[in-house]
Amino acid sequence: MPRMIRSSAVSLALSYTLIGLIALILFAAPLWYAWQGTIREGRAEILQADAQRLGDAYRREGLDGLKIFIDARVRMQIAGDRILLLTDGALRPLAGNLAAWPRVPTAPGNYRITVDMGPSGIQTLLVHVTNLGPNKLLVGRDNRLFAPLEQRFWYGLAGAIAVLFFAALLVGSITRRALLSRINSIRQTVSAIIHGDLKHRLPTHLSDDELNTLSLTINGMLEQIELLVHGVRNVSNSIAHDLRTPLAELRSRLEELALMRPPPEAAFAEIDGAVQDVDRVIRIFDALLRLAEIDAGMRRSGFVTVDVADLAANAVEFYAPAAELKNIKMTLHAAEPSKVGGDPVLLAQALSNLIDNALKYAPENGAITVDVRRHSGGVRIEVGDDGPGIADAEKQKVVERFYRGDASRGTPGVGLGLSLVQAVAKLHGSAVELTDGHPGLRVALVIPLDGDVPGRGP
Amino acid sequence: MKILLVEDNERVSQFVMKGLQEAGHTPDHAANGRDGMFLAASEPYDVIIMDRMLPGGIDGLAIIEVLRKAGKRTPILILSALSEVDDRIRGLRSGGDDYLTKPFAFGELLARIDALHRRAAGVNVEGPLVVGNLHMDPMTRRVTRGDRQITLQPREFKLLEFLMRHADQVVTRTMLLENVWDYHFDPQTNVVDVHISKLRQKIDAEFERPLLRTVRNAGYMVTAAD
Repeated sequence: MPRMIRSSAVSLALSYTLIGLIALILFAAPLWYAWQGTIREGRAEILQADAQRLGDAYRREGLDGLKIFIDARVRMQIAGDRILLLTDGALRPLAGNLAAWPRVPTAPGNYRITVDMGPSGIQTLLVHVTNLGPNKLLVGRDNRLFAPLEQRFWYGLAGAIAVLFFAALLVGSITRRALLSRINSIRQTVSAIIHGDLKHRLPTHLSDDELNTLSLTINGMLEQIELLVHGVRNVSNSIAHDLRTPLAELRSRLEELALMRPPPEAAFAEIDGAVQDVDRVIRIFDALLRLAEIDAGMRRSGFVTVDVADLAANAVEFYAPAAELKNIKMTLHAAEPSKVGGDPVLLAQALSNLIDNALKYAPENGAITVDVRRHSGGVRIEVGDDGPGIADAEKQKVVERFYRGDASRGTPGVGLGLSLVQAVAKLHGSAVELTDGHPGLRVALVIPLDGDVPGRGP
Repeated sequence: MKILLVEDNERVSQFVMKGLQEAGHTPDHAANGRDGMFLAASEPYDVIIMDRMLPGGIDGLAIIEVLRKAGKRTPILILSALSEVDDRIRGLRSGGDDYLTKPFAFGELLARIDALHRRAAGVNVEGPLVVGNLHMDPMTRRVTRGDRQITLQPREFKLLEFLMRHADQVVTRTMLLENVWDYHFDPQTNVVDVHISKLRQKIDAEFERPLLRTVRNAGYMVTAAD
């Protein structure tokens, strides 16, 4: 039972019962009070009428006539039903079925008393006292006559309470059972997930009750987690691959150096090569750490007002000599001012990555456009080149970590450029869009003015 | 230059100590926070190189804070494997003057130490800069080599100014990115080299003795020395 009471469904049902009980009492108490008053008044009226009749007999036939009348009535009725007592002025009994004046005031009025009636036990009486000349007349009636009615009232009340209580228990335990079975199925799914099988989803159905809504939300979360875990797995594989290559080169370089012991000149060249290999590994690590840092959303604390047009002008200027080398025409269209809330370092890095990419893929004598313009609710940055572009099927993949399109084979880079841009866009509540430039590729991201990202705290 | 190295990793310490000695400095080494603190507080150093994670769970930042509170103004370079931006910010806020993440190139460390020392010594802020027969007046923005005037783009001017202010010192690509372009990230490109070669075209092309030199595995140096 304590386990059952601890169940939320049952305790909820019980508290509803309590509220029902209170409502019932609030309803019954005034009723009971009014009912009692009415009955008491009614009985008092009956007694008064009785006393009136006896008073008439006294006035018509005198004290003796009344005595006979009372005696006749006492004999006629079942003892205890009606109490009658006639006394003289000194309260000595003259007639009636009471042996002595009970503990009741002698002044006329209605009273409630308890009297020992001998064989029929102690009774609660309602009495009416009147003066008949010097004599006193007491007319009473056993309260117990009304007891069955009262009893029925109390039984009814108790019955109502009992029904309420058992209904609550029943409903509570049914709800509990239904709830428990659903919660159990959720629990089983969750423990399957804990044990590593992320494929499981919570059971859902079409209704939109609270549990179902919760299950849907949790399923959404699981979806996201599975995606992330999958991503991490992919990244680890890619890291393994991308780090292994330079490490393998490094290792063979050093091993060869140790084995061949070449002349100093050649040895130094090899050592320089080795340092460059290490630097490449460090760069990959740094890029990954930076991505992780951005993904963690930690850098949102560094948001300030940034002029994207300024950043773009800077980046274009920075890459201008590199463009000149390939005789690429790089043009900047920037609408001033293009202020947004964001992280200046990351936005500069994203711009630099985009231009760097464009420079890699644009052909000799090609063209690159950098476009910064106001866009609904933000600033749109677009970098386009006239290179080979990206096939639609590949567009989604290129923003993934370490993905390098076929066209990029043989070019330097670690394949993290666009994923960093994607991470920066995500941090700013946006996403990277890839479109065809006919020819070439256009990469765009929209940075909102206030840099607010729903559902992501600072 | 008298330098204190507070670093617990034996291999890194050996490498740095040897490199500093070869560069003509007189380095002291402390392998733990207590010794480092003692030496830093008692000896007059030109630059202190402070590792962050020291044995016994002591954070180098705590030592720096104590030193700064005690009024020590010695330039401090923080050396750390903690590379996140927040770590950097915390390092610089605690009183460090520069932050270099491990693993690092020795040339980068040396260049940064020189820059810190130079900055602390407060040399040549306003006056004309002279390297050999190359003259630059930051006020009038006039650059001449010998008797020929050289026309530079604003960014080229800034680049040359930075190099000349650190004349005879190695200046790394990272230092150039940070100070000339305000780029506090690695653009993973050799564009800095392209800028340098453009600048070299303008100041060195028609002269017999090149002033702007490439230092292998480290960066660049403007010098009139042989």
